[in-house]
Amino acid sequence: MAKLVVKFDERVLAEYPVDSEVTIGRLPDNTVVIDNPAVSGHHARIFLEGDDYVVEDLQSKNGTYINEQHVLRGALRHRDVLLVGKHKLVFDELATAEPVPASRRAPTLGKTAYLNTKKHRELLARLRAERARARGQAEPSLETHRTAFLRIVDGQTERQEYCIQNRVSFIGSSEDALVRLHGWWKPKTAAAIVQNDAGFTVTDFDGSTLLNSQSLPEGSQQLKDGDMLEVGGLVMQFGLAAASPAAPPPPVAETA
Amino acid sequence: MRLRAGAATEKGLGRERNEDVYVLHLAQGLFAVCDGMGGATAGDVASRIAAATILHEVQQPEAADSAGGLDAGRYRAQSCRLAEAVRESNRLIYTEGRQSSRCEMGTTVVSAWLQHGFASIAHVGDSRAYLWRDTHLETLTQDHTLLEALAREGFEVPGEELQADPRDILLRVVGGEPDVEVDVVEIPVRPGDYLVLCTDGLTRVVSDTIMSASISRLRHPQCICDHLVHTATCSGGTDDVTVMVVEIVDSAA
Repeated sequence: MAKLVVKFDERVLAEYPVDSEVTIGRLPDNTVVIDNPAVSGHHARIFLEGDDYVVEDLQSKNGTYINEQHVLRGALRHRDVLLVGKHKLVFDELATAEPVPASRRAPTLGKTAYLNTKKHRELLARLRAERARARGQAEPSLETHRTAFLRIVDGQTERQEYCIQNRVSFIGSSEDALVRLHGWWKPKTAAAIVQNDAGFTVTDFDGSTLLNSQSLPEGSQQLKDGDMLEVGGLVMQFGLAAASPAAPPPPVAETA
Repeated sequence: MRLRAGAATEKGLGRERNEDVYVLHLAQGLFAVCDGMGGATAGDVASRIAAATILHEVQQPEAADSAGGLDAGRYRAQSCRLAEAVRESNRLIYTEGRQSSRCEMGTTVVSAWLQHGFASIAHVGDSRAYLWRDTHLETLTQDHTLLEALAREGFEVPGEELQADPRDILLRVVGGEPDVEVDVVEIPVRPGDYLVLCTDGLTRVVSDTIMSASISRLRHPQCICDHLVHTATCSGGTDDVTVMVVEIVDSAA
């Protein structure tokens, strides 16, 4: 479920889950109460419209800002910062691994539900990756694994380079992830790298993975040597290693 | 082409209004069935817009520039025009849904345009088209449901996770997104063929065997439709039911 993190001077004051609607204001009947003279009684509200959370300014005195842009109404994206008075509200759409409320999963149209293109591709991509992982565990593979590596270019990680040896490797905050993301708003699984006959593919799980600065419209894409990946605040370079163990370096001639 | 056609529709038990709509235009050779969905009054608005738009677009003398998202080299002009008509209705319903307070609304469409011995079938959603030929009934369309998509890839159906029946989850509807991909099938038809267009209100409760038997026995399009709708309501179906049957009497142009 999405949440709002209320901050003042970079200090976290509170967190609020964002369900179908959240109101923000100084008066106690709001969902998010900010008792500060710079905040209007009923300052703004956030609600779900289709697939998007939308923020609407309720004719507040000091206005509502998304990432320092004054708005009367605007869609919220993951990690957008709302400014209400002097308080910052960070919108975290991927807060926890809790199940997504049904209202966001498939908007019901009477008895029939409709799963939009993006969501159903995500679902299928996840199922494919899970199946690939299950298979990878079931048959510890007799075939020779190609190896590839991820070199961290930017961001905090335990290591500078990760060797991709499994059929499926994950990038995320979960414990079985190859590249662990740290921080409380990082998704459990942000992306997966799947090894198949053709090589390696990257599958995006939370919609934020960038491959060579491009999002992945199909959900997953083949990786090439030297591709740059951006996942959960990390920048890393994908590289293919030689199939056979690298030959020892040629002996250096000793000078007498 | 000489055609005979019949249609029947019945509001589901306990439903306030029938959200199914059909188009039967014998002179034009145009047939369509739409199953609307959406809260409050939105469902029948969507299906009505779709029916009216498709009929209107197909009757325009000038062909549209766009080929309905199809490869114009691979499909007949009539198929491209029909697909484009469905896309146009998608744009109108999507815009209407955004503008009005009705918000979410959409409709399935299964449409058939018969000309010059060919049937072009364009569809989005889980309403179906069947061809009955020589006592054999064949499905011409693939439902755009999660159930179909999962089954095609051989996945177990994660029912509990979805909190809904995967056959109730549509992956494409007309009016759901700014543009929609329309599936098109083209088949040459010949005298004695029957084309059936129907909503899931029928296919959920009436088996293909019963459908096929009704056609074999009754032969008269309107009688077939009446019989099938009656069978569906008697089988305890609670959804709106719509059936349309087109008999190809003579396939010459």
